Amino acid sequence: MATKTTATKKPFDFWIFITILILLSMGIVMLFSASAPAAYTYKNDIYHFLKDQLLFAFVGFIAMFVAMNFHYKKLAKLAPILLVICMVLLILVLVPSIGYEANNARRWLRIGRFTVQPSEMAKLALILFLSSSLSRRKDQLQYFFRGLLPYLVVIGMVAGLIVVEPHLSATIIILIVSSIILFCAGAKIRHFVIMAVPAVAGLGIVVAMNEYMQKRLFSFINPWSDLKGDGWQAVQSLYAIGSGGLFGRGLGKSLQKFLYIPEPYNDFIFSILAEELGFIGVVTVMLLFLVLVWRGVKVAMNAPDTFGCLVAVGITSLITVQVLLNIAVVTSSIPPTGVSLPFFSSGGTSLLFFMTEIGILLNISKYSKYERI
Amino acid sequence: MSKPGMQTKKRLLVLLGAYTFLTFLLIIRVGWIQFVQGSELQRLAYEQQSRSRIISPRRGTIYDRNGIALAVSASVDTISAFPKELQDSGADLEAVAEKLAELLDMSKEEVLAKISKNSPYEYIKRKVEPEVGAKVRAWLQEAKIVGITVDEDTKRYYPKRNLASHVLGCVGTDNQGLEGIEKAMEQYLKGLPGRILSEVDAKGRQIPFNRERHIDPQDGYNVVLTIDETIQYLAEKAIEKAIVDNKVLKGAVAIVMDPNNGEVLAMASKPDFDPNSPFRPLHIDDATWNSMSMEERENAIYSTWRNKALADTYEPGSTFKAITASAGLEEGVITPESRVNDFTVTVGGHRINCWKPNAHGEESFAQGLQMSCNPVFVRVAQDLGIDRFYKYMRAFGFYDKTGIELPEADIIIHKRPTEIDMAVASFGQRFKVTPLHMVTAYCAIANGGTLIRPHLVKEITDNEGNVIKKFEPEIVRQVISKKTSDTMRKLLQDVVTLGTGSRAYVPGYRVAGKTGTSETETSDIDGRYVASFMAFAPADNPRIVVLVALDHPDVYPHTGGIIAAPVAGKLVEDILSYLQEERVYTEKDRKKLAEDVYVPDVRGKTLKEAESILREAGFEYRIEGDATNKDITVKEQTPKPETAIPRKSTIVLYTYKPDENDMVVVPDLLNKTVDEAVAILKGLGLNIKVNGEGRAYRQNYQQGSRIPRGGLVEVFFMDPDEADLE
Repeated sequence: MATKTTATKKPFDFWIFITILILLSMGIVMLFSASAPAAYTYKNDIYHFLKDQLLFAFVGFIAMFVAMNFHYKKLAKLAPILLVICMVLLILVLVPSIGYEANNARRWLRIGRFTVQPSEMAKLALILFLSSSLSRRKDQLQYFFRGLLPYLVVIGMVAGLIVVEPHLSATIIILIVSSIILFCAGAKIRHFVIMAVPAVAGLGIVVAMNEYMQKRLFSFINPWSDLKGDGWQAVQSLYAIGSGGLFGRGLGKSLQKFLYIPEPYNDFIFSILAEELGFIGVVTVMLLFLVLVWRGVKVAMNAPDTFGCLVAVGITSLITVQVLLNIAVVTSSIPPTGVSLPFFSSGGTSLLFFMTEIGILLNISKYSKYERI
Repeated sequence: MSKPGMQTKKRLLVLLGAYTFLTFLLIIRVGWIQFVQGSELQRLAYEQQSRSRIISPRRGTIYDRNGIALAVSASVDTISAFPKELQDSGADLEAVAEKLAELLDMSKEEVLAKISKNSPYEYIKRKVEPEVGAKVRAWLQEAKIVGITVDEDTKRYYPKRNLASHVLGCVGTDNQGLEGIEKAMEQYLKGLPGRILSEVDAKGRQIPFNRERHIDPQDGYNVVLTIDETIQYLAEKAIEKAIVDNKVLKGAVAIVMDPNNGEVLAMASKPDFDPNSPFRPLHIDDATWNSMSMEERENAIYSTWRNKALADTYEPGSTFKAITASAGLEEGVITPESRVNDFTVTVGGHRINCWKPNAHGEESFAQGLQMSCNPVFVRVAQDLGIDRFYKYMRAFGFYDKTGIELPEADIIIHKRPTEIDMAVASFGQRFKVTPLHMVTAYCAIANGGTLIRPHLVKEITDNEGNVIKKFEPEIVRQVISKKTSDTMRKLLQDVVTLGTGSRAYVPGYRVAGKTGTSETETSDIDGRYVASFMAFAPADNPRIVVLVALDHPDVYPHTGGIIAAPVAGKLVEDILSYLQEERVYTEKDRKKLAEDVYVPDVRGKTLKEAESILREAGFEYRIEGDATNKDITVKEQTPKPETAIPRKSTIVLYTYKPDENDMVVVPDLLNKTVDEAVAILKGLGLNIKVNGEGRAYRQNYQQGSRIPRGGLVEVFFMDPDEADLE
């Protein structure tokens, strides 16, 4: 490829921008539809969740535009500081008087009437830190102890702080995304295989010792065995998806959102989408996410430097892994774990960070080595 | 900073491939759930999401043959609750219960218990009047109550109350037919229920904005009966009166049938019930009812539900002689003129006598029938032989059910008859059939010899009046020839004109008939007889066949000729005059009719005028009060004007307004001869109407009752022999 390389500023990737606009618009409409019955029942205001989501979408847009115009190379220098701040926040979350507890987990910090999840920030900070460091020390990766191990320690520390909240799904996402960055940076396949052995063994021991996880696994294999208990969510989600058919019941016409699916505006919003918009809607949304993957990987490929490349692939993977995990969970394809659907599920911090990350991705796209298509 | 190398780019492509692969894998997974498992999942989801309530269809109307509604369905409302929904709405249950209790006339505790239950659906009150339902609806709307609904329902009403109750039957709370035509014609009457479908959330509350879906119920078809409401009414009144007059203990039955097509015009059975409240027998007063045990009540209910016309069997007694006679005539073993005698006949060691002591001696067969002599019929049966005799019993339908629409009792009849079985069967003893069997057999005798299936349903119609199904007369078989039928009609008319059936005689209507009295051997209470009379009229062209049977009359005499024949005769007269049948009087009829004169109205006239009017009309008269001045006005007279009394009776004229004191105590006339009775009553200043001859056995005013001077006492006389079993 003998095209001339250039690092000069160009317009951002239009495909990504448009795709995000469509996904976010659909997301907000679906959130309103899915949340209305619960909002009416519990908050006596059908717009309750919509209002918050609109507010964060607005703030998110501002964040995206700021990030879009903030040269990504400056992030490389900020990365270590950001990571340290995140570690501090993650420790603070665990302090009982500071961390906000819900559903037996300390994951949140309170700011006014809103809650913030430091783990969301940690995901981004870790991507930036790994990308920045690896872009400088890429050649060392062929050595396990000198090269790979220090990164594993850092990743392990972040993951460790999150897993004790406990927040298993965020831990898994961080581990997967970190591994992908290491993989793309050039870590040896052999090392992954070596790491996989103790990881699988460790996971086996954890599952063997943890009754809660066993129950989850069991209910995944046959959700109907415990319809009124652990299997409830899975079964209700399948009812919703199964009721959708090809064209769905029509927008707003889900029945499963009427409290059959607990918190249908959160992790299980995809089921409501499948019920209301049918297979056509599901394929549309998944293809839109695939467009995002394609453009994200393209941005990474054409990034002018390794830092930009790794940040782009990290951000793209962060979104994609969450989408895949979420859909796998709601379709009962993997054991249930709480992963939200980016741009759809309710959740302020998460949306704010996704928008910021898209902003960074768009910024990197401005410096592509090739002409835009 | 270094640039991304080739290895990185390769790995990025691997990553893109992996993401794409996983995305399509998940798309396939969703497709699998939606298309392969979709219908099953949708069904399961629908089960939890939907709630359905039934809307009862409007049950078809039951009409009489002239279109008079006998059973109708009216729209009512049913109030029900979805307790969970109500409780979740945060409504004040106490207040709701109090208001509902007030609106529905229930106790607050009862309502509160229902709406506090942990159940998805509860009836609060079923079948309330629409006005009440409207009030509840208005209140629900005004107070914004959710979880209580008012749904349309229907309720069965029987506007004629207990009229034809056994034919109509009754329905249960779900409007399902329990008895009678309601049950037998259920498939036509019931219609198809509709549904109200609504969708609910996980808490069982109706989903807002989603409208309920109504699947309209399909109304039931109407049933048009062969019953004539007026004839039914006449039949019921006739046996009600007979029950009182004859102290009948176990009820009575009257059946009126058109012999030409098998249409049942009336089927009355007493005791009866009010189908509007079938579980509360009419003939039991509140105090007795409250003191009864559940079992006693149940027995009482079922006894009132029994249609004696076809659910009970009886020994037909002498009414059966017409069948023996028909068989004998048809087979030529006898003619009306055949000389027979009714001396004792011995069969298998049993002596069978005529009911009349010393018997009638030698007579014609026609006379034997008129006098109902048992030995005459035993001999006819013997001449026929067992095979031929029972062939006719089968031909007349006694071995089968009649085939009417309602369930019939099993008949009790000889399977392998012997000589003695046949001998007693010839006069209707020791086998049991239903009253309807006898009527059906008499229809064959009356209509020219054709056995026709009796039926109660004429046609099925829809609400637009279209006939959905028509039930045509169904001929079973030809039993006897037209000639035999003609002979029998004449012979049976003579029974009424000349024989034991004389009390069923109706001037002008040519009533034919046969008496019957049978003993029920299983019963040990008083009056263990069934007195019956089979009649048809007019004898030369029968329009109706009538059976009146009285079960356990606690009077003496208790024979069919004396107590059932007058009821049947009067019933025939009422029905035929309702049917506008023209009376054809015989010479004797005219003479007899002329004996009775209507009392003219002489009140307000002067004595002089009154005297001349009465004298001209052939009455005698007596003046009470000042008779010196012939110009004085008549203030009152006894008997009252327009009463039919015998010529030469005495009219009492008052010149003052008579007070209560001018009353006469009626004496006991039992066993007095006609002359003695006339003398006694004349002596007391009373008038007499003589019925029959012989000795008095009944009078219309009981001994000791007080009637105005000049009043008319009707006295019934009979030949003492008649009181014995026929």
